[in-house]
Amino acid sequence: MTFGINNYTNNKVNKYELLEYYPKDFLDRGAFMSGVETWKERLARLMPPDLAREIDIFETQIELRKQGKIDERVFAETRLRRGVYGQRYDNGQRHDGIKVQKLKLPSGDLTKGPETVWDAPGMIRIKIPFGGLNPEQMEVLADLSEEYSDGVSHVTTRQDIQYHFVHIDDTPSLMRRLAAVGITTREACGNVVRNVTACPLAGVCRDQVFDVTPYAKACSKFLLGHPDTQDFGRKFKIAFSGCKEQPCGLTSMHDLGAIARVRLVNGEARRGFEFYVGGGLGAVPYQAKLFDEFLPEEELFPLAQAISRVFARLGEKRNRARARIKFLVANLGIEEFRRIVLEERQKLVADPRWTEYLSKVHEQTESPLKPGVSLNGSNRAEGFDAWYATNVYHQRQPGYVVATVTLPLGDITASQLRALADIARRFVKDTIRTTVEQNIVLRWVSEADLPALYSALCEIGLGEPNAGTIVDVTACPGTDTCKLGIASSRGLARELRTRLSEKSLELDAAVKGLRIKVSGCFNSCGQHHVADIGFYGISRNVNGYTVPHFQVMLGGKWKENAGAYGLPVSAIPSKRIPEVVMRVTDRYVRERLKGESFQDFISRIGKKEVKVMLEDLTRIPSHDADASYYSDWGDPREFTLTDMGVGECAGEVVSQAQFTLAASERELFEAQIYFDSGDFKKAVLTAYGAMVHAAQALMKTQNYDISNNEETILNEFRQRFCDTQIFYDKYAGSKFAEYLFKAGDALSNNGHAGREIALQRLQEAQLFIDAAHSCYNKLSSMMSVSRANSAAASAGEG
Amino acid sequence: MDLQKINVKFFVTSRERIQLTDFIDIFNSWIQDSDGDYYDVADYSHMHAGPGILLISYEANISMDDTGNRLGLLYNRKQPLGGSNNEKLKFAFKTALEFCRRVENEPALRGRVRFRGDEVHFLINDRLVAPNTNEAFRAVKPELEGLARTLYGGAEFTLDHNSDPKQRFSVFIKTPRAFDVDTLLKNLGSRGDQLVGISVT
Repeated sequence: MTFGINNYTNNKVNKYELLEYYPKDFLDRGAFMSGVETWKERLARLMPPDLAREIDIFETQIELRKQGKIDERVFAETRLRRGVYGQRYDNGQRHDGIKVQKLKLPSGDLTKGPETVWDAPGMIRIKIPFGGLNPEQMEVLADLSEEYSDGVSHVTTRQDIQYHFVHIDDTPSLMRRLAAVGITTREACGNVVRNVTACPLAGVCRDQVFDVTPYAKACSKFLLGHPDTQDFGRKFKIAFSGCKEQPCGLTSMHDLGAIARVRLVNGEARRGFEFYVGGGLGAVPYQAKLFDEFLPEEELFPLAQAISRVFARLGEKRNRARARIKFLVANLGIEEFRRIVLEERQKLVADPRWTEYLSKVHEQTESPLKPGVSLNGSNRAEGFDAWYATNVYHQRQPGYVVATVTLPLGDITASQLRALADIARRFVKDTIRTTVEQNIVLRWVSEADLPALYSALCEIGLGEPNAGTIVDVTACPGTDTCKLGIASSRGLARELRTRLSEKSLELDAAVKGLRIKVSGCFNSCGQHHVADIGFYGISRNVNGYTVPHFQVMLGGKWKENAGAYGLPVSAIPSKRIPEVVMRVTDRYVRERLKGESFQDFISRIGKKEVKVMLEDLTRIPSHDADASYYSDWGDPREFTLTDMGVGECAGEVVSQAQFTLAASERELFEAQIYFDSGDFKKAVLTAYGAMVHAAQALMKTQNYDISNNEETILNEFRQRFCDTQIFYDKYAGSKFAEYLFKAGDALSNNGHAGREIALQRLQEAQLFIDAAHSCYNKLSSMMSVSRANSAAASAGEG
Repeated sequence: MDLQKINVKFFVTSRERIQLTDFIDIFNSWIQDSDGDYYDVADYSHMHAGPGILLISYEANISMDDTGNRLGLLYNRKQPLGGSNNEKLKFAFKTALEFCRRVENEPALRGRVRFRGDEVHFLINDRLVAPNTNEAFRAVKPELEGLARTLYGGAEFTLDHNSDPKQRFSVFIKTPRAFDVDTLLKNLGSRGDQLVGISVT
């Protein structure tokens, strides 16, 4: 019998049966008017059973947390791994500019994580692997943003979609509706593999070596929920790029980056990747290190798996600030890291998924709706030429173009997104992608359709030009919604967009091609390091007031896959940043040498000179003279850092043993529901499954790779925990362990499963799981003591 | 049908001289005047025909909403309401109107914003509860008619329902007669600030 959490479910409890047995009011927050079938049942038929089951589990976990049966830290990491994130003020208080207000939230002491009030709205992040979307998905995303959020879908710098101001109680419904169109929020947050990104031009790019889309797609699927990616100390980001020279993939700033390469082997062209590891932005940016000049395509997944295992095993877990893989690679050195990874690679048991997708990677995955016809003298609306100049990219396939839909600050309204889905149906097929520059592209547009497409976009307010120019400012959410935000990145971006848009027609071409990126803090979600002109939020004390500032970063390189990071130049008050942009760009236009890039220009005049140039902008009037400098963009409150909270980017470090113990609790809860509904047989079976999982959880402290096979778990548990008396109660002796073995024997003997037996089994399972928790706590404290002792010993030796 | 997630929008008489961004300051001042009722202000002034400026709270969002390129005050009830459908409708309309009145009386706007009472957009913001069908309209119609009769003091009115399945369930309630906010509130009876939910000062 297999007892993997998902497998167990699939083998033993059918989703539809489960629906029958849950109490109606637990399942249905709403019903179709027909009253015959619930919406939940309808949606369940539209999604894979595994996904449906996962969402049911999450809903149960929510219920258990409300009953206080899941620790808040475990629940926090659980919800993060479902894409359910915290948001600013979710500690239940907000500074209103004069005083701190305690927010009226009826949940009382109930929390969804440390210092995170249950009823406080949160953010939900929706994974869009490689940014790929189809019209049906866009419509559902639009609907959900209206019903559960504030009517806006926000495209992130990792090609995800985010909603803000979502109540956690709504998330299971939201997830089901997404799952029904093939979208998951799973592992969008937390210490896991985040959304796998790829160049939005992959497959149609003129410079690509080959289309990386099928690899990004398969990689995303392979690593999602993979056991070897569940025990990281921090998040893990992967990017694919079709070529080395263009910036789209940004592989240099990723934990793992793969650039398409082809090599001749025995006269045959073979696909592979230039493979990088250990890059990352954040407070301490690192350029990724070359792991392998040519990694054959069939080695891509095994190596990713081996790296995951090494990261899980050797990566920092306690000090969150140094837990990304970039620190591990830096500490070990790339040579040693490579050696350990290759050693790990040799130990892996072959997995058919490593290569089975390769048979299809050469197939054309996309097709056009219409024949490719060039743009010939069609009537063009006013503004078309400017839009064409910045928002249209000629595909490698003649007659076809990629049209970029510029989204201001990455935002699109529900009405626009729905209308854009219709426009997509009119001009292309399922060939839509989000971009890391927070826009959306329509691929495979017949060039002759561009005037009609432009007019259609204008009708819904999405005909803005300037994609990928200095006007198209990228920004993270910053203080608008992020708990870590220091300054208003979106407020600044909005202001810069407005000012630069007004001047866009006058801008020198060299300036127009620059990029501005803004982060609300040093964590770099706005990717300020790789912008020509980057900013990140800080604060400074001026005249006794805390004043919002931005650190100015110049000279970052977007090209060459984020080939260089910008350097900090000066801290400037937030309200004076637009002057910085104008001054720096004006001087570049005036003094640049022929053909000189912005990076070279900054390098030539030197950081010292730039600092002098901006010196007067560091000063602001006194508060009495002009108080506006003491508040941030788009926020009239006097600036304060009071609202900053503890970020959830880092997630909670929760061991696999803790997760599995939580899963066993949830199963026991389900067993109780079966019992209440009179299905004693299922109650007995599920209660036993819960006990086996609790035993498996303990096994994971000793053998991370413990199998899901019931027999193996029981044998190893007996050997390692019972015979050694590790699982032993001072007063009850081995009684709790016997509950497990007795329950297993009874099932093997097809024992009767009446009400009495079921009740007894439920009670025994509860006691067994409680004992497992005690045992785990005992082991954890022993390990802590052991770590402290060895640290003390090391210190003594030092 | 159990009516929940009721949305009510009253449109401005004229959008000239109205800057959406003015409402960032106004809503922030409302927060300062309250006691933890409101969660935050969201600024979508950069978007075309978007949700505008929102005042977010646990129970409901209040916004100067520009959806459909039609500026108005939107009351978006998020948390369930108790009572009969008639009571819930009355509560939502009255609360929306109280907020309209507060905006009209807002000193910072110096009377630049007025709401028209001859048209109301009513929505149910939950496709799972209320798909946008003729069946749903037939179910809701009697209750909406009852509400509209009270709202317009017996004056003639129409209910326009467009059953586009992609849209949320919505009905435009229209009357040929002109009404101001105070009259509509008077027709509905008690003041909004005497009701449960978000306090309206």
